[in-house]
Amino acid sequence: MGYTISIDIGGTFTDFCVSQDHGDTHITKSPTTHYDLSVGFMKGIKELAHIYKLGLDDFLRQTDAVRYCTTLGTNALIERTGPKLGLITTSGFEDTIFLGRARSWADGGTTNENKDLARIEKPEPLISRDMVVGVRERIDSFGNIICPLNRDEVFENLQTLVDRGAMGFVVCLLWSFVNPEHERMVKEIIEEEYPEDYLGSMPVILSSDVSPKSAEYTRFITTIVNAYIHGVMSDELNKLGIELRDGGYKKPLILVHNTGGMKKVSRTRAVLTHNAGPVAGLHGALTMSKIYNYNDTIFTDMGGTSFDIGVITGGRLRTYDFIPLIDRWRTNIPAIEVKSIGAGGGSIAWVNKLMGNALEVGPQSAGSMPGPACYDQGGQEATVTDADLVLGYLNPENYLGGKMLLDPDLSREAIEEKIARPLGIEVVEAALRIRQIIDARMGQEVFNEVALKGHDPRKFVLFACGGAGATHACGFAPYLQVKKVIVANYAPVFGAFGASTVNVQQVWEKSRTLKIFQWATQAYSEDVNTFNGVVNELKNLAIRDLRLEGYKEDQIQFRLELDMRFGMQYNLTKIVSPHLNVQTPQDFKDICDRFNEQYSAIYTPEATFPMGGINVECFYLTAFVETPDPRIGKGSWKHRLKDSEPLESARLTSRQAYWPEAGKFEETPVFDLVKLKTGNIINGSALVEAPDTTYVIDPDWQFTLDVYHNGILKRN
Amino acid sequence: MSAMVYGRDTEVVKRLKPEPVTSEERAAQKKINDVDFEIFHHKMNMIAQEGKETTMKLGASSGMRWGDVAFGIYTSQGDLSVVATGIWFHAVLGQIPVKYIVKHWVNEASVGVKEGDSFFFNDPFYGGVHGADMGLCVPVYYEGKLVCFTGAIVHTGECGGSEPGGLVGSARSKYDEGMLVPPIKIGENYTLKEDLLNMFAAMNRDPRTMILDIKARLAASRIAQRRIVELIDQKEEAFFIGALRRILTITSEAAKKKVRLLNDGVFRQPRFMDTVGPEPALTKIDITLTKKDDTIKFTFKDTTPMLPDKPLNTFFQGIVGLSMVYFCGWFFHDLPANNGLLETLEWEFPENSLINAQGDVPTSVSPFTQTCFAHGMFLCGARMTYHLDRLRAVAAWFQGFGVPIYGGMNQWNEPMADITPEINATGAGARPDKDGVDGAGAYFATMSDCSDVETTESDRPFLYLFRNYFKNSYGHGKFRGGAGVGFGLMMHHVPWVAMGSFGYGSKFPSTLGIFGGYAVPPMFIRTVDGSNVKKLLAKGSTSLPNTMDKVYDWENPEQGREMHQHVTMPIRPVMNGDTFYVPVGGGAGYGDPLERDPEAVLEDLQNGITTHWAAQNIYKIAYDEQNLRLDTETTEALRAEAVAERLRRAKPYDKFEVDWLKQRPSDEIIKYYGAYPNPSEGSPPGPPGL
Repeated sequence: MGYTISIDIGGTFTDFCVSQDHGDTHITKSPTTHYDLSVGFMKGIKELAHIYKLGLDDFLRQTDAVRYCTTLGTNALIERTGPKLGLITTSGFEDTIFLGRARSWADGGTTNENKDLARIEKPEPLISRDMVVGVRERIDSFGNIICPLNRDEVFENLQTLVDRGAMGFVVCLLWSFVNPEHERMVKEIIEEEYPEDYLGSMPVILSSDVSPKSAEYTRFITTIVNAYIHGVMSDELNKLGIELRDGGYKKPLILVHNTGGMKKVSRTRAVLTHNAGPVAGLHGALTMSKIYNYNDTIFTDMGGTSFDIGVITGGRLRTYDFIPLIDRWRTNIPAIEVKSIGAGGGSIAWVNKLMGNALEVGPQSAGSMPGPACYDQGGQEATVTDADLVLGYLNPENYLGGKMLLDPDLSREAIEEKIARPLGIEVVEAALRIRQIIDARMGQEVFNEVALKGHDPRKFVLFACGGAGATHACGFAPYLQVKKVIVANYAPVFGAFGASTVNVQQVWEKSRTLKIFQWATQAYSEDVNTFNGVVNELKNLAIRDLRLEGYKEDQIQFRLELDMRFGMQYNLTKIVSPHLNVQTPQDFKDICDRFNEQYSAIYTPEATFPMGGINVECFYLTAFVETPDPRIGKGSWKHRLKDSEPLESARLTSRQAYWPEAGKFEETPVFDLVKLKTGNIINGSALVEAPDTTYVIDPDWQFTLDVYHNGILKRN
Repeated sequence: MSAMVYGRDTEVVKRLKPEPVTSEERAAQKKINDVDFEIFHHKMNMIAQEGKETTMKLGASSGMRWGDVAFGIYTSQGDLSVVATGIWFHAVLGQIPVKYIVKHWVNEASVGVKEGDSFFFNDPFYGGVHGADMGLCVPVYYEGKLVCFTGAIVHTGECGGSEPGGLVGSARSKYDEGMLVPPIKIGENYTLKEDLLNMFAAMNRDPRTMILDIKARLAASRIAQRRIVELIDQKEEAFFIGALRRILTITSEAAKKKVRLLNDGVFRQPRFMDTVGPEPALTKIDITLTKKDDTIKFTFKDTTPMLPDKPLNTFFQGIVGLSMVYFCGWFFHDLPANNGLLETLEWEFPENSLINAQGDVPTSVSPFTQTCFAHGMFLCGARMTYHLDRLRAVAAWFQGFGVPIYGGMNQWNEPMADITPEINATGAGARPDKDGVDGAGAYFATMSDCSDVETTESDRPFLYLFRNYFKNSYGHGKFRGGAGVGFGLMMHHVPWVAMGSFGYGSKFPSTLGIFGGYAVPPMFIRTVDGSNVKKLLAKGSTSLPNTMDKVYDWENPEQGREMHQHVTMPIRPVMNGDTFYVPVGGGAGYGDPLERDPEAVLEDLQNGITTHWAAQNIYKIAYDEQNLRLDTETTEALRAEAVAERLRRAKPYDKFEVDWLKQRPSDEIIKYYGAYPNPSEGSPPGPPGL
């Protein structure tokens, strides 16, 4: 029985999950080694091997797949370790990436930062201005060549970039997604000048290949980010591949994508690996949801510095990010959206004196270094974790399974000095307020995320993951009024667990304006050929790619999604097309009906305006190979029900914890999650300690360890 | 109709500060604890944010597409308590139409205000700015009681005036400016009235955009309404009403606290404009700002009189609104934005002045006057706040507009009338420690962006010839303003487009520097009729200009009938292949250019942001033009000599003043100015409402 190892690298810890088809699943964590990620990577795998009492070599020989949510690309962007690139663009538009639609200074900033207009700053460009050259050419919106490409000018500019030290070229021309002829000509010229067998050969990346979508700023940036991180990732992943092979692993390393799929390193576009960990976590929630037959699920992951939010609707991950940001760069990748807000255990509480001593929590964070005051690493600020400790919810001697000792006195001092004294209240009252405000903020932000996608959160089930998820779930869930909260068995390493559940999948996309219901004639289009032409082009690309991945054509399934809009609207609404190909105007009507229905559901029927004309603007073809998770089919995660009453041995002790409903500290039972049995029920108020988290069960809540060993929280 | 004449209610427009606290609101305060209030405040911001994003997603006009959106939650008396926007003037102006509805329609049997109603408005007398800014609001009821309003305001643009695109530069009275609608009910029982939509569509060159924008505002307002009702279900009506009021109260208190931190003093700034709409001429806004204790008072004694038949006039509400652009984005950036901030401000507007329009005078280009005032506010603000917060005492962003305006049919044979989005790519003002941000946005709509060329070209019949940073488009200084953008358009796809442009600052700079920094240079429009550019492009010519400065090179091979026009250019047909070149200015400079780090000048040369002429004549640096290597010694000598030369030209202030006052522009230039030099000392040019 082969092993599948899944790895998710985080800022503080690298998470590991190993599973076998029959359902046996184990997890572990290893400190992230920022100086060389492969060190922590291999250390964690050794720990997994140890679980099975195997040597690294034997373990890796029996491993079928290593799946990796890498942050190598993101790190390269943040640390600016990418190569010196040259950008070749349409003459007259050399400043496009610096202009950044003007508002690039706000991309990635918080609301408060973006409101402080005297201090705004655009991100430091990935390509300096002297490495950008324009070539004379022009294509119009219908793909007509208005100005032919001047080959001599390309040669001349190419030489300029080479002389200035270019190590690769990015070619981004206007309207290339409609007509890529000029971009391809530029590539040919470069390859003629620097053929592959020359040492001077350098990669040439075209925007029409990486991102054949409308709107040049995001297309150019997507292409540049991809080129910038490509080399760094390639080098590091090759190194890792060699280490794995030396260790005994014989299969290709697999990367998890932010589109919710996975592919071999050799078939992966670098830009699709950004934020793969949180997306994998969301996919894990999807898998768990399928076990329970839930279609609509909210995924949350509360860690030390951030709080991630993802949404599953209709039993699928189908909401692509409207404006996917990578670091501070606006891109157009078809990524699944997992939004991150600045709220976590490290969020700093502060008193806003100007606003009448209002207590605020975040968005600043103490991070993992120096971390909360109780970490005793020099942190002076009062954080959410300090509040949890003061209120008695965390065990100072059993935090992270005892790996880290906390100092409650330091927490009290920080809260006293920074919050309680300025507000003229007791330390405990201050801690309680910190907790209430952060819980409300998280709950309300989640509500907004779900609502913005046109859904009612009350109909959803909530997954609370991450190290602090179980500690705060009873606090933020009421703001969503969800039916049920699930704290998954593998919640503290949910990204790694989620990576073990993803399938082979990729999204192929292309912008094309098709007026399928026309304003001028008030009739449906008859041009089925253009629609089918785009779909077939994407389908051929998908089939070719997945064949190279080792799959047969009949194994591949397709799903077509369309970005659509009324009339001259700018923003687009995505629908799942009822037809893959169209035959008649009636098929266009079906597509328009689907669009109207969905639009109406999200934005109210009053908002629809079909007579203004309906356009398709972008095609997304998802090709996937469905490989049902054997662990689900066999029910291998299922455990037999035991008594509802926990064994006395599961009860560790009791300690004083503060419950606002009682308005005082009360002696509260503390349980050991590891010793709880399937079906055990614990009524709040209670605390349940696990190696990587602590459940806080509020007085009116009930905890059940269900047959999948997930913790179920329900409000009485 | 209660206690007013039809068309104009001069009482309600003065109610800009929060309405008096009601007994119900006061009683509710006791039920609100601090934590619940913080949570409530966050929730209301979430609701407003959702409203704003929804409005943007669904709208169609340039303003809507690029984020020129304000979404607000108003108390049941009409005060704007919570807003999500970057257009801060709407943070105080959006309330007037709501207060109008409360005053006139709630108890009016023929209209009434009920659950499921929706109201539209775009009359600038109530909206404060101009007819292109259109709004919609809905009342929110809870168990039959009116608890608040939600609404969105967006620049839709086209409003059926005698020229397309929403601004009528040639307007002689308000009757040339198209539909100007005081708050009117356009929907009942959660249904828009099709007859009224039909009327709006019929009065408009771009009916699709008009309708889509209305529906976008409505959808967002309804979503916010739903959220608020759900919130009251959980928190009780009294809590909601009291907490909504408390947001205003704490904002006022915080604003007063912050104003009190400023030194008392008087700050003066006269400002000038060089157009009255259809023709160039000089006008003046005379700003005096007196700060005492927790109040800042504005007076405008020597301001140009009202212009009876020119559209430069503004209602005073617009001036109050534009002050909020400075206050919300700069001085009060750390406070909530709502009309509670106005508790710190007092105003005294002279009767019959350019900034206090009355009667039927046109106001189409009132944004010029408002931004001209706002610029004075920036200059006074930097001096007023320097001692308190030096890093935010900055030079102004570009103020002069520079916006093509057009109408006609697009390449899809669909009607269109709008403005181009590059107004959202102006440069930011320089700062005490660094340059202004290049191509930062529009200072009055900072959440907006300037679109992609491809997006504009996809449904507008233009082919951009270039769109790049514009050399020397900013004010020089120790720290320079952020660069603006220059772009060239060629008419494409269609036989012709009706086209003009608007803005000011072609003859007198629109944006002055601060603390020795230079002004943004004057900007003008260049057009070429019968241009050969299309043919040259087809031949692959490599000598066509790809930046604005190269348009003026001798080597530019473009031929045709060249015209250089004021940035406010009358609308006229522009034919297929004709070209249109537009500068969008940069930010103003900060500090003496002679103090600028020479290496920063060389970097600007390297990046194409400045010219050798400026480097050598303004910044006085010496370097090798080939390799940009600095000659430090010569630079120091050049700069020392420049300082000595200044000292040689220096004279005592009283002597300067005597010489200066001997000068006088020609009568043609000051024919609308009023009595020169002090408009308050002469009679105005004509009766209002001519």
